[in-house]
Amino acid sequence: MTDVTMIVNGQVRGASVPPETTLLQLLRDNFNLTGAKLGCDVGDCGACTVIVDGQAVNSCLMLAGQAEGRQILTIEGLASRERLHPIQTAFENSGALQCGFCGPGVLLSAKALLDENLNPSTQEIRDALSGNLCRCTGYTKMIEAVQDAARLLREESRTQLTHARTEATAP
Amino acid sequence: MNEHSRVLERDELEIAETLRSPDVDLRLPAVLPREPYPIEPLTPDARQQTRAVGQRATRSDARLHGLGQTKYIDDLSFPGMLYARIKRAGIASARIKRIDTSAAEAMPGVMAVLTGKEIPTNSFGPTFQDQPVLADPIVRHAGDGVAAVAAVTEQIANEALAKIVVEYEPLPAVLDPVAAMREDSPKVHAPNSNIYATKVVRKGDIEKGFAESDRIFEARFSTQMIEHVSLEPHAAIADWDANGRLTIWATIGRITLARADMARTLKLPMSRIRIIGTIVGGNFGGKNEISQEPALALLSKKTGRPVKGVFTRGEEFTATTTRHPIIMDYKTGVSNKGRILARQIRLVLDGGAYCSWSATTLGKACILSPGPYKIDNVVAEAFVVYTNKTMTGAMRGFGAPQVCFAYESQMDDIAKALGIDPLEIRLLNAFDEGSSSPTGQVLHSVVVKESLRKAADRFGWEPRS
Amino acid sequence: MKAFGYVSAKDLEHAITLLGEHGARAKILAGGTDLLVELKHAVHNPEVIVDVSRLHELKTIAVADDGLHIGALVTHSDIMNSPVIRDMFPALVAAAHSIGAMQTRNLGTLGGNLVTCVPSMDSGPALIALDASVTVANAEGRRRMPLAELFVGPRKTSLKPGDLLVDIVIPKENLGKPAAFEKFGLRKGQALALVNVGASFWVGDNSVFVAPRIALGAVAPTVIRAPKAEAFLDGCKISAEVMAEAGRIAAMEAKPISDFRASADYRRDLVAVLVKRALANAQARATAKEKELVA
Repeated sequence: MTDVTMIVNGQVRGASVPPETTLLQLLRDNFNLTGAKLGCDVGDCGACTVIVDGQAVNSCLMLAGQAEGRQILTIEGLASRERLHPIQTAFENSGALQCGFCGPGVLLSAKALLDENLNPSTQEIRDALSGNLCRCTGYTKMIEAVQDAARLLREESRTQLTHARTEATAP
Repeated sequence: MNEHSRVLERDELEIAETLRSPDVDLRLPAVLPREPYPIEPLTPDARQQTRAVGQRATRSDARLHGLGQTKYIDDLSFPGMLYARIKRAGIASARIKRIDTSAAEAMPGVMAVLTGKEIPTNSFGPTFQDQPVLADPIVRHAGDGVAAVAAVTEQIANEALAKIVVEYEPLPAVLDPVAAMREDSPKVHAPNSNIYATKVVRKGDIEKGFAESDRIFEARFSTQMIEHVSLEPHAAIADWDANGRLTIWATIGRITLARADMARTLKLPMSRIRIIGTIVGGNFGGKNEISQEPALALLSKKTGRPVKGVFTRGEEFTATTTRHPIIMDYKTGVSNKGRILARQIRLVLDGGAYCSWSATTLGKACILSPGPYKIDNVVAEAFVVYTNKTMTGAMRGFGAPQVCFAYESQMDDIAKALGIDPLEIRLLNAFDEGSSSPTGQVLHSVVVKESLRKAADRFGWEPRS
Repeated sequence: MKAFGYVSAKDLEHAITLLGEHGARAKILAGGTDLLVELKHAVHNPEVIVDVSRLHELKTIAVADDGLHIGALVTHSDIMNSPVIRDMFPALVAAAHSIGAMQTRNLGTLGGNLVTCVPSMDSGPALIALDASVTVANAEGRRRMPLAELFVGPRKTSLKPGDLLVDIVIPKENLGKPAAFEKFGLRKGQALALVNVGASFWVGDNSVFVAPRIALGAVAPTVIRAPKAEAFLDGCKISAEVMAEAGRIAAMEAKPISDFRASADYRRDLVAVLVKRALANAQARATAKEKELVA
């Protein structure tokens, strides 16, 4: 058995699992985080996408042991108790998901993109989402949603900057 | 009383010690789902448009999808649940001489094994009940299931499949639907002919129509087999209660039909069967009938535990229904101005190993095959034929996309040959309000020409001849 | 997947010890993008997985006295983001970018891609066109060999049990050599190459090809050079016609098969076009670099 400890959505989580357990199985079966989905199990469809140490990866292609000591972000970690993440808001407003199965993977790929680049071009968005397959939507609204989310996040960071400046200059 | 035997008084404990911290891992946000419409729903007056049309509306499931909280079947699990896997034949046409499941049954962790012999009524299907739950004794395509296991882990279930020994006697296979129409072809469902359904649509006088035509165009068009590839694979969970009632969680889009099929295959009154249609991760027609559910139900009965079965992506391609490949022969007679006077069509649908929704597909394809055009003389003959290949069934369009490819391609060919603009030739022939379809249905709310013109305008279509 | 033992190497020395110990019973895990798929399809049934993915020593990109060293565990994303490689070898960036999708590029390693050794590998052609060599370590020590000697056949390398690919070296004399990579697949993302091409050359006095190299992928059991096309270019005045002719010659040197993705004839056509494009791209980079230096 492999003992693994990692930080999932900000919480320290641990488990003792057979070595051949993938990160996807660990998240779904041991941690009950069923947002990441099994679509193909070979890294083609992206439904299993999670963010490990800031990078979007196919969790079906990682062994649980490889996640030891790392920071994992799953779809369950995007929203807080008070509010949705702007990416979730944007996708909801754009109607960008239909059956929803590919959703968690797509949203996390979008997050990975927007964490690096708050002004992505359409081509950059397509590139970032090219590892996430969707059979329902045709992707068009997803691209709009990511652009929308980028705008929301830019506004947020401007607001925060303004507040910071205001605080800094406050007597 | 000494130190060691002193009982800690409750008052002495810090308040925090009496409470465990709440499970913050369960990050269910407190944000409430919003109302789907910005206005109150109204019952509209007859023939009046409801005010909801044209409004932006949020999907009611969007919130949970975005949160990753939507529970699909594979996200459900129950205490004691077992995992099922099905052994696939891997051979297109064969007779099973012998199945030896003893090695699999002896494996620790394997709780039950099932073969076709144990199925009370080993046949089902939405139109003809020609498909076995598990093949016994004839295998008709490589994706046919021949045995099923239920084990405590998927890993053990997979191993168990490898340990099941099946001896096959290979039989002749037919893989081409046109060849399968011949009398001397191997019969997939012997002794019946491989042609298992036909449809003919006739209108007017086809010979007269061709005689009056200035030009006649003949061509063969064919389309390929396509798989739905819904992101969510086929999955189901079966469980029995103490009173002998079966519950199936399934992604099936027609659960009443599924109940009837389950009742038939299990020889169980429908009143004992409850099917819960769960939220589905894409159907597109491929999840409209039962497949593994009777096997899961019997495994559950044998083991006394809930049994979950999830298809692998590979099984999605080999063991679920696909879109019919169709071989389409079109003979079209036109005037020099491009007006279609007669159209004769022969469709051969590759019907795969089992009927599934083929009869419906056949009907649709046949009726729609002349296209949305005013044609006075039509003969459309369609056949769906068994082959020893993957089952073909319902997939969005139900036969319409294939024939559309054929009649629109031929329209372009005719336009090019006659030197007519492809848009003009369509406007010349398309349905009008009150036109009658090839089957004699009088059509209303016909906007074909308006749509074409509008689209041409938006595309910036330049006339070409 | 079937059960296997798992051990994570702490450092390079530990990795070599583990690999020496387990020999042929072990499989090396780096990015996992090929290995895990093979394990799930039961192509291999190793007793032990030696996880080398944490060896930081193998994740560096640095210019040393003998050339540019790219650690075997550098991921395709790392290559795309490396300032050194973006400046010196945009061809390698293009090759890395053409592999899979964002998620697989974040996991997949350069070493892994080379060692998996499929004929259509995207990392091979540009590196072959840049005369790359590889360093292999085992219990006996380290050895260097030309990259071409690593490739033996489809999914077959010259590595032995106990060997670990450590880095990839582009020789000093090729630093800054104009190079290009072209790929044609049936999709723009997550696509296997029907044909891929790497090309490089220096622009000599009087605008001639100097030290031209052309490497072809997916048209033979391994990545191959196109020596006749190279010989034709050598010393020739640079022009579009010459590039097109080199493409035609290279197409004849290719040995493609017909499969469900494409016919051999189509692949040969692709070779001619992609070689021409790669040469043109390399020239464009040479010109741009000149302008940069002059400016």
